[in-house]
Amino acid sequence: MIGGNKRKMTLTLIYVFLIAYIIISLLPYAWLIITSFKTRVDAFSIPPKWIFEPTLSNYKEAFLDKGFLHNLKNSLIVTSVSTSLALLIGLPSAYAFSRFRIKGERAMMYYLLGTRFTPVVALALPLYLVMAKVGLLNSYLGIVIAHITFNLPFVVWMMKGFFDMVPKEIDEAAKVDGCSWFYIFTRIALPLARSGLAATAVFCAVNSWNEFFMALILTGRATATMPVAIPGLLTPQGTIWGQIAAVGTVISVPVLIFAIIVQKNMIKGMTMGAIK
Amino acid sequence: MKKSQSRLHNERTLAILFHSPTFIVLSVITLGPLFYALWISFFNFRLSVPGGQNQFVGLDNYIQILKTPEVAQSILTTFKFMLIAVSFQVVLGFALALAINALPKYQRIITSLILVPMMVAPLVVGLMYSFFLNSQFGFYTWIVNTLHLPLPVSLFSQPGSALITVALTDVWEWTPYLALMFLAGLQSIDTESYEAAKMDGANSWQIFTRITLPLMMPVIVVGIILRSMEAFKEFDKPYILTGGGPGSATEVIDMYTYRQAFVSYNFSFASAICVVLFIILLVCGILYGKFVLEREM
Repeated sequence: MIGGNKRKMTLTLIYVFLIAYIIISLLPYAWLIITSFKTRVDAFSIPPKWIFEPTLSNYKEAFLDKGFLHNLKNSLIVTSVSTSLALLIGLPSAYAFSRFRIKGERAMMYYLLGTRFTPVVALALPLYLVMAKVGLLNSYLGIVIAHITFNLPFVVWMMKGFFDMVPKEIDEAAKVDGCSWFYIFTRIALPLARSGLAATAVFCAVNSWNEFFMALILTGRATATMPVAIPGLLTPQGTIWGQIAAVGTVISVPVLIFAIIVQKNMIKGMTMGAIK
Repeated sequence: MKKSQSRLHNERTLAILFHSPTFIVLSVITLGPLFYALWISFFNFRLSVPGGQNQFVGLDNYIQILKTPEVAQSILTTFKFMLIAVSFQVVLGFALALAINALPKYQRIITSLILVPMMVAPLVVGLMYSFFLNSQFGFYTWIVNTLHLPLPVSLFSQPGSALITVALTDVWEWTPYLALMFLAGLQSIDTESYEAAKMDGANSWQIFTRITLPLMMPVIVVGIILRSMEAFKEFDKPYILTGGGPGSATEVIDMYTYRQAFVSYNFSFASAICVVLFIILLVCGILYGKFVLEREM
């Protein structure tokens, strides 16, 4: 009986800890979203206003008047193209790592891992110099290439893990039935690993969507993605917090929705082989 | 015999075919640029000095790194940032993982709520905090003043508190990552080992220190390495929150290199720093590989 009470106590403490953590961790973010619906006066009022008349003027001004709609379009183009290309290029390799044994495989995995350990600036700087030479600065292709440098290794690493979870017996059976490896890969293994594929795609898209450094260096006015365009709202005449909050909300909310949908597989993939 | 040999041969060809797009593309877009950085680090390629461009200068840029105290200073700042951020993340992340793992229900919804910060773009995190912590109208300042909490308000004006604050925004953002990783690790522990220990009369503290912790050690080490490496590459948040200041208190190495390259146009010097950073991170990478790959294959 006493044991039961003690357990109840512990559980209550755990709930208190978790709820307190969640409240503290969500507060600044909630504040950002709330601010995006406030007028300039309400945003700066002290004490902070909890009840106010919500307005969409920040969204309207940022996206229609300041041209963030264009940056949103750029972000969508760069994210979708770099994610699809990384998947297209990387999936066969991930499958091969999972199914075929060849010499030098470990060296190849190390190489992929090595790209993840490369400092961003060590890639961005030479990419900038090369792209300046061949005229790829301020082009979609340039920033897409830059984003593939980190997304491609992710695709191979994450998808290798998900292909490993597809039973090899299925492949073998199809092989006996006379199916080609290419058929097995595209029509059997890939559909069976689709939840992992979704998580990988979302993860890569988030990386690209949120990326700032490469985009800061390699894009220009015409191709700037949303993260790069935001600091433009920090003007010498003052910071337009309402609009920053609006753009910040638009950047982060879609990502959250996707991430929560695929969370289980994404977390598994993000641990990069640390957990089976 | 013959058949299996030809099959092996066939698999080899297929493997090469499947691997080649990835490795060709990666070599062109990552290895190529890295070698280019190495190449220009031996020249005095700079846009800021007209005329004297593109002379071979040997190891001058590397000697320059040793002669420039700012480089070592900003590497030290980066390590401080890393140490503060990662140690909080590991302790808090582990506590969260244990807490969630002990829940009989609501695990999924709590996990969803916890992962929110790490999906917010780092740049937005920076902006969000510069608003939230603003010393005049920030929500944080209001709370501290209203409740008379013994906390500083002008967080970014002092060197010490500026670095800690920037590191804490990283804790806010990435603790969920370790929490979820550790949670996955805890859930992969065989329940049989717990049962056996309970049968032997072990109390919960003993179970934790003798079973949970040792079994979790590999996951914890991997988590520490992954986060340290990411923290070493930090740029976005200090760029927005402090711009490296006050003074150079929060100027992490990536920001220093960025300044050298894109503000002062000392491309060769910046490239030399990149090469050094690459070597530092490569060592971490090999350590990580030892932990993960060796266990797996």
